[in-house]
Amino acid sequence: MTFGGITLSPEDLRAVVRTVGAVVLTTVGVILSVAYLTYAERKVIGYMQARLGPNRVGRWGLLQPFADVFKLLSKEPVIPDAASRAVFVGAPLLVLTPALAAWAVIPFAPHTAIAPINAGLLYLLALTSLGVYGVILAGWASNSRYALLGAMRSAAQIVSYEIAMGFALVGVLMAAGTLDLGHLVARQAPNILHWYVIPLLPLFFVYFISAVAETNRAPFDVVEGESEIVAGFHVEYSGVMFAMFFLAEYANMILVSTLAATLFLGGWASPFAGLPWGLLAAPGFFWLALKVMILLFCFLWFRATFPRFRYDQIMRLGWKVFVPLTIVWISLEGVALWYRVGPWFAR
Amino acid sequence: MTAAHLLVEGVFGFFATVLVISALGVVVARNPVHAALFLILSFFNAAVLWVLLGAEFLGIVLVLVYVGAVMVLLLFVVMMLDIDLVVIRRGFVRHAPLAAVVALLLAFEIGYVFWARHLGLVSLAPPLRPGTLPNTRALGLRLYRDDLYPFEIAGFLLLVGVVAAIVLTLTHREGVRRQDPSAQVRVEPARRIRLVDPFPKGTPGKGGEGG
Amino acid sequence: MLHDYFGVLVFLIVGAVVGAALLVLGFILAPRHADPVKGAAYECGFEAFEDARIPFDVRYYLVAILFIIFDLEIAFFFPWAVALRELGPAAYAAMAVFFAVLVVGFAYEWRRGGLEWE
Repeated sequence: MTFGGITLSPEDLRAVVRTVGAVVLTTVGVILSVAYLTYAERKVIGYMQARLGPNRVGRWGLLQPFADVFKLLSKEPVIPDAASRAVFVGAPLLVLTPALAAWAVIPFAPHTAIAPINAGLLYLLALTSLGVYGVILAGWASNSRYALLGAMRSAAQIVSYEIAMGFALVGVLMAAGTLDLGHLVARQAPNILHWYVIPLLPLFFVYFISAVAETNRAPFDVVEGESEIVAGFHVEYSGVMFAMFFLAEYANMILVSTLAATLFLGGWASPFAGLPWGLLAAPGFFWLALKVMILLFCFLWFRATFPRFRYDQIMRLGWKVFVPLTIVWISLEGVALWYRVGPWFAR
Repeated sequence: MTAAHLLVEGVFGFFATVLVISALGVVVARNPVHAALFLILSFFNAAVLWVLLGAEFLGIVLVLVYVGAVMVLLLFVVMMLDIDLVVIRRGFVRHAPLAAVVALLLAFEIGYVFWARHLGLVSLAPPLRPGTLPNTRALGLRLYRDDLYPFEIAGFLLLVGVVAAIVLTLTHREGVRRQDPSAQVRVEPARRIRLVDPFPKGTPGKGGEGG
Repeated sequence: MLHDYFGVLVFLIVGAVVGAALLVLGFILAPRHADPVKGAAYECGFEAFEDARIPFDVRYYLVAILFIIFDLEIAFFFPWAVALRELGPAAYAAMAVFFAVLVVGFAYEWRRGGLEWE
């Protein structure tokens, strides 16, 4: 096809349609997962506390998330008089967009990523580091004491745990030798012994706990500490803008769980890979989804079990426990790499 | 021209335009926080341009380091300093001549670079053809094979940064109660509780009489 | 390389469009009644008597500065780790020295109490 000297080959057109379709499909998938994660959260925590959880809307309360969405959409979005309007409205957008766009580089199955870029891991680290802006700007734009306090706490917390998280990623990177997430999973795929969680177990814990802290989830949720600073950076938000913060928080939870599964637990690889068990040993999206669900369950479990940390304890854990731990482990890993230990550090 | 080329050109044009506009915004915005936000936007746009030019690693690191870290600090500072706009604007006329000189100098320098290139006086190294080698690896090979010395210097500069930050900002407050977890763990019951027998031997009341 | 980034571009656009669409939808569907009390900042029933934007503890700045420095160090690790398998012992030694310098900085910070939070 030619439009005024510009040629558009059918392959190009197909590629464009395919990409756009995949992006829309992923976005819808993420949003639906968020909806049912909120449902799962209420159900799981309900059962853990010997309650039933939502059970009125639809069978077993399965339509509850949709009811919530419609409720939030029909609530009035209040913009405080003293707020900086443009920034106030822009902040939720700034949280949501990176939380969605990060999914571009995730390998869902062998050779199946929307954008299989070389620097995938770096891209993810960069995008997740943008999340802090939404929080800071929301707190500042609200022009409210509680919001600002929550935002400052949150910013310092996110930033501190990002260091521990970054070092944990460096550990994975040293083992994998590639920033391409597809290759990174492929290197873990031969069998379960190749998963990086085995040589890098402490880094896995550091990464996962930092992920909980980064997403401001319990027990690291002093940011919203309801009992002290009401709801932190988003006190002033209501209606759809609040819904967007909520959506972004849960999308980020799923994202960091997916990343933990991809980096440490072999992503789409089957735990039975290498064994002659036919379909059970085959790689696929199913395995990734299963691993992510297990990790997400941990998020909910933490919330139901742990009391909230105090702020100084959070900062101490990040800087004085996690950072030294990762430093030690990276040094050990350097030695292991030099001597090419095990299947992980072979050249 | 294929559609793919057109797309790249179009995207480049779009982000370059936004870059120029947001850079203007940094200078023009009255509210310092808005200026900082414009600066963030321009960094982001610059990063997109770098990626389009094939500098994948640098583009993403620009977002990671400048947008994700440096600008967070700047926003902290700008937000909390409570800058009085009137006071700032008072100095505008007084400093205008100096600013004009700096601006002229900058314009001259930029012009000189273009002019010199135009005359063929400066031979700039041809850019690597993008896509021949994964960017990050190419950079790693270059940096850690040929440029080890500057790399170490960078390490020491960062150390100086840590020291300077602490020396400049750290103040110790008196009378602050801190938690010392290792002391909490080390504590033994014997040092906290002294069991006292309220009825030493021989006193009346001992022996379950209901005293 | 660039055509891999097409997906990223599309995703950024779709992400922004979804967010914008939600905002528009929320503002259209929901009722809007302005009210001076509703528009006031939340203050536990108090009248807000001054601007909420107050100066903050310098410690927050220290955390931010340290974050920048460590973030940069991490950025240095990335190309090293990727090229590691093709580099000789010199690169190893160089990174060991760099890392040692980093640890010295970290230890200094710790000793001086830069990591305390009260």
